[in-house]
Amino acid sequence: MELVREASCGSDERSDAWVSVRPADAISVHIASKTGPMYEDRIREVVEGTLRAMGVTGAEVKVREQGAYDHVIRARLLCALKRAGEDGEAFRRPMPIQVAREGTPKGRLRRSRLYVPGNNARVLAFVDVFGPDCVILDLEDSVPPAEKDAARFLVREILSSMDFGDTEIWVRINPLPRGGREDLEAVLLGRPHGICLPKAESPVEVAELAGFLYELEGRYGIPWLVWIMPIIESPKGVLAAPEIAKASERVVCLAFGAEDYTAEVGCERSWEALLWARSGIVAAAAAAGIQASDTVYPDIEDEEGLYEEAKRAKALGFDGKGAIHPLQIESIHRAFAPTPEELEWAKGVVAAAEEAERKGHGAVAYRGKMVDRPVVARAKRILEMARAMGMEVGDAA
Amino acid sequence: MPRNAVGREIPEEVGGKPLTPFQGAFATVPQGRKAAPPLKTIRPGEDKVLPSLEEAIRRVGLSDGMTISFHHSFRDGDLLVLRVVEACARMGIKDLRLFPTALFPCHEPLIRYIEEGVVTRIEGSMNGPVGAFVSRGGKLREPAVLRSHGGRWRAIECGEVHIDVAFIAAPTADTYGNANGMWGPNACGPISFSVPDSWYADHVVVVTDNLVPYPAIPAEIEQGYVDYVVTVDRVGDPGGIATGTLRITRSPTQLRIARLAADAVIAAGLVRDGMGFQAGAGGISLAATDFIAKEMARRGVKAAFAIGGVTMYLAEMLKEGLVGAILDGQAFDARAVEFLREHPRHVIITPGFYADYNSRGCATYMLDFAFLGGTEVDLEFNVNVNTHSDGQLLHGIGGHQDVASGAKVTVITIPTIRGRIPTIRESVTTVTTPGEVVDLIVTERGIAVNPRRPDLREDLRRAGLPVRTLEEMRAEAERLVGKAKRPVFGDEIVALIQWRDGTVIDVVRKVVGWE
Repeated sequence: MELVREASCGSDERSDAWVSVRPADAISVHIASKTGPMYEDRIREVVEGTLRAMGVTGAEVKVREQGAYDHVIRARLLCALKRAGEDGEAFRRPMPIQVAREGTPKGRLRRSRLYVPGNNARVLAFVDVFGPDCVILDLEDSVPPAEKDAARFLVREILSSMDFGDTEIWVRINPLPRGGREDLEAVLLGRPHGICLPKAESPVEVAELAGFLYELEGRYGIPWLVWIMPIIESPKGVLAAPEIAKASERVVCLAFGAEDYTAEVGCERSWEALLWARSGIVAAAAAAGIQASDTVYPDIEDEEGLYEEAKRAKALGFDGKGAIHPLQIESIHRAFAPTPEELEWAKGVVAAAEEAERKGHGAVAYRGKMVDRPVVARAKRILEMARAMGMEVGDAA
Repeated sequence: MPRNAVGREIPEEVGGKPLTPFQGAFATVPQGRKAAPPLKTIRPGEDKVLPSLEEAIRRVGLSDGMTISFHHSFRDGDLLVLRVVEACARMGIKDLRLFPTALFPCHEPLIRYIEEGVVTRIEGSMNGPVGAFVSRGGKLREPAVLRSHGGRWRAIECGEVHIDVAFIAAPTADTYGNANGMWGPNACGPISFSVPDSWYADHVVVVTDNLVPYPAIPAEIEQGYVDYVVTVDRVGDPGGIATGTLRITRSPTQLRIARLAADAVIAAGLVRDGMGFQAGAGGISLAATDFIAKEMARRGVKAAFAIGGVTMYLAEMLKEGLVGAILDGQAFDARAVEFLREHPRHVIITPGFYADYNSRGCATYMLDFAFLGGTEVDLEFNVNVNTHSDGQLLHGIGGHQDVASGAKVTVITIPTIRGRIPTIRESVTTVTTPGEVVDLIVTERGIAVNPRRPDLREDLRRAGLPVRTLEEMRAEAERLVGKAKRPVFGDEIVALIQWRDGTVIDVVRKVVGWE
């Protein structure tokens, strides 16, 4: 590709890099590294390798970095190149995948979903260590309009180079008509497990998103179905929740977003005022056989308040809750942990179901009560959750 | 070149002085008797007050090649070191050996006096620019010597370092030389770092900006040891005490480390009535202490004592009855200074009480657990607190060795990556504290348990805490940041790192290039 103007991307924040490029006859790279000579050669390799991969033969590149990882430098450089050139096609070519990743089961544990701002290199530097069930790299509310392109590159590079272990990795895109398509084209190259669709209000949007995902999975060779998590954050969305939940087989979870909802309805952010919306979302999800995840708790300092709200969400039927700070994860997981009574009940039900199956009985009874199929499924789910949390479950299935 | 007990090559001598290699944390058996200062007397009515530092320098006969000492209780707000060195320079005195407890970034102007030959040797901690300058080599006549708080006391006491003149910055003093740091417009907290200097130096000069009627009490520095009292307009800037990270961290990564560290000592059963602990002033240590305090309040547990560096957080714990006493060697913020005046169970201790190897009891030996930091750790659990991975000497030892030696459980808290630089190394750049006295290394990726402590491993496992090996965490971090280039060291030794018993645990060599 050819550069037609001077452009730059990035910042001087910790763990970030500022990269500028401008048209030149040959390649020259100038590096000012926070770590002195320790990574200078490596940074040069990253820059030169990326320029080669993008087919750039003439550019003066300046890198000023504050302990940025390779993938941050690469992301900042790619964005600067995109801003400096005309050729969009070069950026849609698949990049080498650097970490192994597999698809996730539709009904896996999703107790916590941690939102992380998608253009903040400092926060993203340690994003792999906090152990939520889901990490959501955010391109929407936390990214200012002028930095959407930069965030796309950063999120994509993080997806393709960071190993998140057992954490399911999601991207919250912008609404489809407002940059969401460009988001998808960029970040699907990094092979996330799922996409969060903000402000979901109709099954049509979800179907449209599903269509895009189908196309991009094919183009980028993603061997699994990329899941969808619609975020219901308006009265319209709550009313359409039953259809949204069933709009695609990719929808695995409905998430509730209370901030916009309260603003639009003009209600307080109290438990009572939001009860109808929460109940509606839980019921819609249950009717479609998928999960529901509660809204975030905005006060980071108030661990007890978060714990109490998460307990109530669990009691209402939610499977998980959003987090805006890593330290909220523990309280959420604690709240969603099965109680000893639940655990005992679940073990009993599962044992009874297995017994009935062995004996060829159609009906299952536990403690003198008939147990329906969904109840058995719920019991199994409690055991699965207990196991995931390292609780003693025994060998019940 | 012979290797010491942590595998470091230690020359047999440097500049004609023999070095004893480190043999193990408690291997040294002291012999002989303590050093002694000269006998002196005074008659009733004699006046100790002098009009200027210059006059004091003349009266004590300070001359070329002598050793002058200082405390660092004002930390980055110290004014006295530079004033004395400047006065000496003006008076044509050169070749001085500086023996401060520690130097800070505010002492950067010393570099000029080193270049001019006014100061040619430094024995003491160097935090920041002076250390960086010394790292470049060829600057001092002999390698710098770094000691722990306890190690410095021991060196004076056994005569390893003879102080010619001790200059003691005193926020409050009387005309007879009784002095303390608790009172006065520029109170800084304890000045007990200077107690051994006052006992053993040939000459003792107390410098104050707050001369009070006799007696200045409490007398941290006692009249019987003081030759002269000099008044100046300002003795130090207490605003420089609270520099660095003296607040509870807000960083999610650091908070995670703090949480794991607190959970580890809770799992080890150490949070119980009658416990003693030490918390550093770093953001992670403070946060871990805060988590512990919450657990104590929840369970109604009361600690017998805590050792400072004292911050407002520790002071609050005493006030709330969570801690029975604070043993304070150093104030880290203004609130700690105030509290020292207000609370009868917040008391000043000397470095000897705290940490002297050649003594029949150290406060650090009574610790149940302690949170400490470091710049690097390695697979043998060795800790570096002095140099960075680029070989620059940028920090002092403080009480690190003393506390690690004493505490039943020593917890090192350290992120695996600092500004891209991985902190878990195959081998640390400099060994400050040997792995044999380190029990747990806590990072954001998990907790490594020293193989010497299978009991702790079991406690942590049972509590469901993420027990990992250092090698696993090292590899994980390296996957993220890549391998860092390492500096190449030459033969020139720029500093000796003493173990607290006076043996040499490591040397710092000059960086001559990069691999």
